[in-house]
Amino acid sequence: MKRRRRFGGAFVRELSRNRYLYLLALPGIAFLAVFAYMPMLGHLLAFQNYRLSDGIWGSEWVGFKNFEFFFNGKDWLRVTLNTVFLNALFLVSGLGSAVVLAIFLNEVRNRLFKRIAQSFIFLPYFISWLVVSMMALTLFSTSEGLINRALAVLGFEGVDWYLTPGAWPYILTVISAWKIAGYNSIIFLAVITGISAEYYESARIEGASRMQQMLYITLPLMRPIVMVLALLGIGRIFYGDFGMIYAIIGDNGVLFPTTDVIDSYAYRALRQLGNFSMSSAVIVYQSCMGLVTILIFNAIARKVDTDSRLF
Amino acid sequence: MRERLFLVFMYAVLSAFALFCFIPFWIVFINSFADESILQTAGYQLLPGKFSLHAYEFLLSGKQVFRSYGITIIVTIVGTALGVLVTAAYAYTLSHRKVKYRNILSFLTFLTMLFGAGLVGFYMLIANWLHLKDSVWALILPYLLNPFYAFILVSYYRTLPYELNEAATVDGANDLYIFFRIIWPISVPAIATVSLFYALQYWNDWYLSLLFIDNYKMLPLQMMIRQLMSNLNVMAYVSGSQTQYNVVVPTYGMQLAIVCVTIGPIVFVYPFIQRFFIKGLTLGSVKG
Repeated sequence: MKRRRRFGGAFVRELSRNRYLYLLALPGIAFLAVFAYMPMLGHLLAFQNYRLSDGIWGSEWVGFKNFEFFFNGKDWLRVTLNTVFLNALFLVSGLGSAVVLAIFLNEVRNRLFKRIAQSFIFLPYFISWLVVSMMALTLFSTSEGLINRALAVLGFEGVDWYLTPGAWPYILTVISAWKIAGYNSIIFLAVITGISAEYYESARIEGASRMQQMLYITLPLMRPIVMVLALLGIGRIFYGDFGMIYAIIGDNGVLFPTTDVIDSYAYRALRQLGNFSMSSAVIVYQSCMGLVTILIFNAIARKVDTDSRLF
Repeated sequence: MRERLFLVFMYAVLSAFALFCFIPFWIVFINSFADESILQTAGYQLLPGKFSLHAYEFLLSGKQVFRSYGITIIVTIVGTALGVLVTAAYAYTLSHRKVKYRNILSFLTFLTMLFGAGLVGFYMLIANWLHLKDSVWALILPYLLNPFYAFILVSYYRTLPYELNEAATVDGANDLYIFFRIIWPISVPAIATVSLFYALQYWNDWYLSLLFIDNYKMLPLQMMIRQLMSNLNVMAYVSGSQTQYNVVVPTYGMQLAIVCVTIGPIVFVYPFIQRFFIKGLTLGSVKG
């Protein structure tokens, strides 16, 4: 070991001294190397005219041609705008409803009511988007759906929901809040429970009403955690929720104008068109946008409020 | 007076939202017992007029639901067991103050949360390089280490007194022994929480089978929902036999029945496991 270079020596010494600890980490390290880092080679395909038979090292390099093709088409703007718009709606509705729910749940003194309400609100988190899509069908199906039946009873004409692209950003927003609000509200509730009781006590002595305590104590103290979750969401604003979109919208092309996101677009390019390079170009574009967003917003967060930054 | 009014408003909002969360479950559940003729004429109702078990009988008379159940159960059990083992051990090393490179490892782990590898590379890895298409390993391996769960465990291990470790080392125990015999037993609450997260993830996953399973017989339960919803040849899919024209297939009822069969186990254990998830989220929100 003495004969090795200094850094190498230190490295080997560390490994051998803590060999059992590194052994424990080995499966995890191997996993990250194979399943998280190796697939990053897939980004190379964006600059190739990839053909399965030629492989990743044998395919022809074409520079930025795939990107040119992508940006010359009409789709890129549509899927980008859809992704950002839908994610913004999901973020605001998911966090907003959760803040309200958490504050209200915290105020509830009846413990049985609180537990039951919380159980119901958290339940949708536990099911997959495919199950959600079946539930959506029971509501929005044109002839059998509960909503159209109810409209008919009230004397209105039914709507062909699955043929009405304009409605879906809002339907998806409601569904998204339905599924995630419980999850977020539990995180918020944990933070609220951590607020020192002294604040409320002194406020009560000063004669503050419950509503005032909510507005001037609870809400401001929730700001850091809401900011962290909002930042995490904004950092991922270019990443569409593939599971949700593909389960509920699927291959229903009529709804693409308002619901097609970058991820579902890349998926179709890969699986339906078999165009690996095109799909990869879309994903590289997405990663770049994602990187830029997260750096910008982290810098802003660092300036405005150091506690809320991510790194 | 205003205070009281506000209180009523609060209870009303919470009740309304809870009901709103519950109703879709109710619709799916109650209509899965509705008679097919009612479903086709009156649609989905809050309380169907005529009940029948036909959808379940039909679903359970075929082989596919059992095959899919088997796949889902195997994937969930094996995936959870392996995932928890890999994650718990990995997180222990990340949290150990003796390990010099723990910060580098943490950073490399965190990085994967920010930058996904992307669909194409991931697809090629599984399909072309590891040749795992149509293999049950394709449904298990990709989720073995979730960085978020690893960091939950790291922040838990950090709360344990380091003296435990020192005392055991003085007694001549090595790190493997310390981890499996001392740390693991006292970490059971946190590890149980993480294993439930993994189990839920495996049970609910359909993304991996969408990408990597072409053999329809190997599709897990979740994908069976998708198959039944896309209205292919339901009869042949469920029972594995040719279409018989003299049998009325309860298409609508079966879509609902398969959903109930899929989420049934989750909803059933939900009252008992809910608090573990709440604890996990609370642990995770303490910024690590």
